[in-house]
Amino acid sequence: MSSGVTVSVDAKQVYDDVKKNKVYRYVIYCIKDERIIDVESKGDRTATYQDFLGQMQELKDQCRYCLFDFPADCPSEGTNEPSKISLDRLVLMTWCPEGARVKQKMLYASSYDALKKALVGVYKYIQACDFEELSQQAIEEALKKQ
Amino acid sequence: MSSGIYGGDEVGAVVFDYGHYSFRAGYAGEDAPKADIPSAIGLVDQLIEGKDELEKKYLIDVGALNYPRKGVELQSFLKDGLIDDWELFEKILDYSYDKHIRSESQLHPVLISEASWNTRPKREKLTELMFEKYNVPAFFLIKNAVLSAFANGRATAVIVDSGATQTSAVPVHDGYVLQQAIVKSPLAGDFITMQCKQYLEDHEKVELVPNYLVASKEPVKEREPPKYTRKTVPEVSKSWANLQVRTLLQDFQASVLQVSDAPYDKEVAEGMPAVHYEFPTGYNNDYGAKRFEIPEGLFDPSSIRQQLPGTPLGVAQVVTTSVGMCDVDMRPSFYGNITVVGGCTLLQGYADRLQRDLSHKTPPSMRLKFIAPNTPAERRFAPWIGGSILASLGTFQQMWISRQEYDEGGKQVVERKCP
Repeated sequence: MSSGVTVSVDAKQVYDDVKKNKVYRYVIYCIKDERIIDVESKGDRTATYQDFLGQMQELKDQCRYCLFDFPADCPSEGTNEPSKISLDRLVLMTWCPEGARVKQKMLYASSYDALKKALVGVYKYIQACDFEELSQQAIEEALKKQ
Repeated sequence: MSSGIYGGDEVGAVVFDYGHYSFRAGYAGEDAPKADIPSAIGLVDQLIEGKDELEKKYLIDVGALNYPRKGVELQSFLKDGLIDDWELFEKILDYSYDKHIRSESQLHPVLISEASWNTRPKREKLTELMFEKYNVPAFFLIKNAVLSAFANGRATAVIVDSGATQTSAVPVHDGYVLQQAIVKSPLAGDFITMQCKQYLEDHEKVELVPNYLVASKEPVKEREPPKYTRKTVPEVSKSWANLQVRTLLQDFQASVLQVSDAPYDKEVAEGMPAVHYEFPTGYNNDYGAKRFEIPEGLFDPSSIRQQLPGTPLGVAQVVTTSVGMCDVDMRPSFYGNITVVGGCTLLQGYADRLQRDLSHKTPPSMRLKFIAPNTPAERRFAPWIGGSILASLGTFQQMWISRQEYDEGGKQVVERKCP
């Protein structure tokens, strides 16, 4: 079920820039004119998750989609020692805070399918409606579960 | 039109959403439905003027319905949340086009929200009806659970919907209902109404006299027999009188009842503040522990004293059974997005109690998160509001089943376009 909202060429291009070329660390997508999912802002490759969260603070009552190339610890097989390898995992987040207007919630939730289909190769999908669900700890836990 | 796309969004779409309690209708893009019509319809035989024949007259909406007259029988067009009596359904549609939409059906695309367990023959029949009889330019049918999830900003969620006749849990994953995991229970609003009736009549010996029978009343002291004079009204049918009593009880229910935040305990409940309620006759009383005991059955069916057909599930059990039927990997995302909608959930303390019960029935590692729309209107009309926004989106115009698609593909097209 979807709203008919489409994904811009730019949105897919920037996704590839993150995935293949590792140019950016994160991308924030918004829906423009209730028609098309487009790139709102990008984070430098050096940006941390905290930097990203800092930017999200300004979006307390706005819905967005966010992509973050999350450096996750990779458990080394066969041992119980803490791993030394870190792998970047692509996490796609839907950000629908409680304070957002119902129209935005409806728009972002019903258009999500289009973005999910357009961005192939995302490792983990997260639905977040408050900063607890968006916290670094919550993402790390979700990545661990597999 | 060369493509199958319905062209032009200059004419507003119309959104319909139906439940056992009421039928909601209005224009897409508006914040709330224009009409919230009782789903009960009055039928009465009436003489055709000048002839010696009887014709059926349909009494729809609060005004016509609440006027006492002889021989009015009440009926609903629904059965188990699905349209059952198509003739009555058409009557209520006709009425809303005429009195609330105030426009002609062939001018507006129509979006209807349906019960998630609707069947294929009924979906096709509804599609046929809208295109053939109402001549709509475009049509869309969507499951109410999906709309409720979207309206709360979720593509994946379990929708706990407690309305008049049933409580259901419907898992929605990425915008699609997981049909095999829908779980329902008859413990909902109407059940509570019956519990109130039983308690008031059998234990407290209150005479339940609805407003239409009260001509005047005098103030009396608490628990004293009422002093009122009865209005003389035509002899009304049993089903009509029942509806009036039910309306009275629903008011009692909304004003007095509260859900206890832990399993009902008489001593704790007696320590809680009582609520004063006055009946239309003037009889009045304080309700203390009882106001917690009555809704307890929704959460703990074993507390219900009377015999019920089958073994109905309490609401927490409805949720765990439903989520338990889903894939293990999906369960955390359902428990993390429990969305509570429906009129019965407006009982004070409903969501808190459900949260408590669920936390006892799920593994401690499971993170529970509740989403309950704040305003009563958003909770009662969640699917309608969702449909209203969806149908007003410019991009949604390409999603409709267009007239042309229907003409070419027939009624089966609904399964493909509106999964």
